[in-house]
Amino acid sequence: MIKRIAAALTAAAMLLLTACTDKALVQEQGEQIEITLSWWGNDKRNEYTLEAVKLFEQKHPEIKVKCSYSEWSGYEARSKVQMMSGTEADVMQINVGWLSQYSADGKGYYDIDKLGEYVDLSNFDSEILEYGRRSGVLNAIPIAMNAETVYVNKTVYEKYGLSIPETWDELFEAAGVMSKDGVYPVSGANKSIWLFCIAYAEQKNGKHFFNENSEITFGKEDLKMMIELYTRFVNEGVMPKIEDYQRYNIDNGTYASTVAWVSDAVNYNGAAMEAGFDVIPAAYPTDGTCESGTGWYAKPATLYAISKNTQHPKEAAMLLDFMLNSPEWAELQGVEKGIPLSEAVREHLKDIGQLEGIQYDASLVMEENEYISPMNSLIENTDLFDAFFDCCNQVIFEKTTADDAAQQLYDKLKEGYTVVG
Amino acid sequence: MSKNKNGKASLKNIHRVQILMIIGYALIVIIAVAIVTQLAVSKTDKVLKNKVISLTSSLGVQMKLNLESYISRMETIGTLAFGEENAYTYDATDPNNDEYEALGKEKIITDKLFSLCIMENFVDYGIVYRNNRTVGKISNATTTAFGDKLFDDLSSMIVRPRTNDGWATGYKNDFKHIYYVKRVHDNAVLVISFYTHELDAVFDNPETLGDMEIMLVNQDYNILYSKNGGEVGDGLDDRIKSRIKGQTSATVMDNDQLVSVNKCGDWYVVCAISTDSILSEKNEMKRFIYLTGLAAALIAAVVGLYLSYLLTSPVKKIVSTLDDKARIDLLTGVFNKLTYEEYADNIISGSLGSEHRALIMIDIDDFKNVNDSYGHAMGDRVLENMGAILKGVFTDDDYIGRIGGDEFSVLINSRPEEGEEFKDYVERKCKEVCSQIESGLSGGFGIETSASVGAALFPADGRTFTELYRLCDKALYRAKRSGKNTYRLYDESMKNEEGSK
Repeated sequence: MIKRIAAALTAAAMLLLTACTDKALVQEQGEQIEITLSWWGNDKRNEYTLEAVKLFEQKHPEIKVKCSYSEWSGYEARSKVQMMSGTEADVMQINVGWLSQYSADGKGYYDIDKLGEYVDLSNFDSEILEYGRRSGVLNAIPIAMNAETVYVNKTVYEKYGLSIPETWDELFEAAGVMSKDGVYPVSGANKSIWLFCIAYAEQKNGKHFFNENSEITFGKEDLKMMIELYTRFVNEGVMPKIEDYQRYNIDNGTYASTVAWVSDAVNYNGAAMEAGFDVIPAAYPTDGTCESGTGWYAKPATLYAISKNTQHPKEAAMLLDFMLNSPEWAELQGVEKGIPLSEAVREHLKDIGQLEGIQYDASLVMEENEYISPMNSLIENTDLFDAFFDCCNQVIFEKTTADDAAQQLYDKLKEGYTVVG
Repeated sequence: MSKNKNGKASLKNIHRVQILMIIGYALIVIIAVAIVTQLAVSKTDKVLKNKVISLTSSLGVQMKLNLESYISRMETIGTLAFGEENAYTYDATDPNNDEYEALGKEKIITDKLFSLCIMENFVDYGIVYRNNRTVGKISNATTTAFGDKLFDDLSSMIVRPRTNDGWATGYKNDFKHIYYVKRVHDNAVLVISFYTHELDAVFDNPETLGDMEIMLVNQDYNILYSKNGGEVGDGLDDRIKSRIKGQTSATVMDNDQLVSVNKCGDWYVVCAISTDSILSEKNEMKRFIYLTGLAAALIAAVVGLYLSYLLTSPVKKIVSTLDDKARIDLLTGVFNKLTYEEYADNIISGSLGSEHRALIMIDIDDFKNVNDSYGHAMGDRVLENMGAILKGVFTDDDYIGRIGGDEFSVLINSRPEEGEEFKDYVERKCKEVCSQIESGLSGGFGIETSASVGAALFPADGRTFTELYRLCDKALYRAKRSGKNTYRLYDESMKNEEGSK
């Protein structure tokens, strides 16, 4: 009997001891896969992109997206630093020029064809995807097409009794009427004015700035023509110096027109339109002898690429697909980056009545123009137009002659490019 | 008869004590468990609250440190702009500036600023001059929002005289941007701005505290930033505000709210969560403790019952054995006189008139001669055999007792037979007893033995044990007188017969 009681008590004690044994407590924190996304843009783009990213995170709670964004100028420099240091974002908005800059052999970005399981590429024509291929490798997906466009404040022009300018000469004539009030017939940031001047020169000399071999065809005289044009623009009050360009002057009608990308139509002109001005995308100016669109260039607005170094290609591809094809993202983005190239998104935007407004009108001006040329991305290189405006300023401030400035620019171009002009 | 009653009473006592023991033990266990459980709940509650306050306090401090670190980094980036001499020597408002040289200087400053903020998600990073000219990166959103008040309104954000700088948000009720402004010289201020959204990373808290509201409020307790998307620009909820007003670093917990506040510069980092939410596990824990207590009480009760059984079982057995010994005649194995008479009396007095019973009395003839001739040992053996014979002849329903040295009595219990049939049955049994005693009582030792048997029927002859006993005795006497080794059933002829007693 005692043995049985002892056995029972021992068993109970063992049970208690087992129950009270110190066991390590483990609380697992939900582990998220963090991917990074970078883009450039204005306030509006930043806001809707952040909102759309939140939607993506809600849909995929296992993924956290860390955002990095900036305005264009800062972004371009940041992107270069990141690409060179291998710290680029997993998914990034890139400019078409960077494909040749960072992925000459197609190995600079992830091969998106390999992620077809996660990214629906069937919404894109093969011709469109060609814009994102380097050496046959699908490095990036274009979002929309883009071109510099002249947005004219019709209200201001009409106030001065002027019609929408169609030629360069009409811009100078408009300056004669407007400048007494401090109003400029046209305006633009550095790259836009650089391409504006190139369009003029190409109409005059009948050749593209870059040939098919990416060689500069412009000679010293061509450059001199551009410098003189810009100097005249500034001196005769056609446009403010690029250093003095303030976008809020578009809002108040001080700039009667502005040169900006199709994708920036609302961004640049939205406030002016809200203020009651009638702003329209005008035909591309000519010298009167060429067809409108000659000397002007179109390119993919922006592209999305995935880092070749990404550790989470699947998650990056899921985000990319969400950005390219999802109705959620499309509704928030609308036509802010231009008319989307994804068939599904374009259809969706059409269904919900978002394919309208100045951005859509500007897209139609671009798409319906037969004379606009595909852009060689090198033409957007910052060093080109920085050097150009440096030389222009020397002439404007009478530090040198247009001839010397053109020579100086020509020499500068030869340092970094093959110049055959 | 009293001995037997004592035995039963003892067993009842033991049973009562056993029940009392179980109830007492159960009460003690339940009270002890209830006290321990209550203490455990109370202590756990206290410890849990202290730990939660402590952790929330740490979280609040951590959030403050995160913000300080972030702010400090922004201020450092702002200060680094002074690494470029032109940034603080150039004055865009100076009418004597050579415009071309000015452009060059502005480009140098812009390049410097760009290189400093290249990796930051800044909306603005530039210098604004008194004439509203800007250098560096000043967004269209900012120039539009401030208009021609750009320099003046940014300057008004400088509130710290020591460092000539200040932080602000909510400009024209816009809480999407946060501005850091630092005076460069009399006619210029440096401005850094970023989206309030950037603070999400600063105030990133563990998912387990996902319900925690983390807010940044100003000195007027207006919300500048809310982690969970609460209404910025509005005043802090009174329930939260009333708990932290005037405090610079504290954590307060009551039945409604758990709130922590930490001052960071001119702002406060406020972490708040409803007490119900943070202590949601408390009720679960309470339930667990109570259930554990209940389980412990049940286990203790089962163990107690088992131990009680182990303790009382041998006592019961002993008492039962003693009881048996008191009731049974050890030599013959049948009831002793007291027990037999008690049982027979009880049964007969409780019998209905429709039932049929019989009382039989058996006396071994000349038993004295057996003892005298063959010794008491043989006598005992004969008596032993007598018990065995009677048990063999009668059924288990019948009661057999030794009522004297060589006298036995049997109560034939209720039988299905009635009237003459029952009488025949009794006669058969009496005859069988006589026959078996004659043939086998000595057990093969060659001793001639016989017995005389008298019987009386219930209810025909008598209705009480005493009466039947007396009538039986008369019948037995008649049998003795008839030459022994025979049986007689009582009849009216024996009315005047003398009994043996």
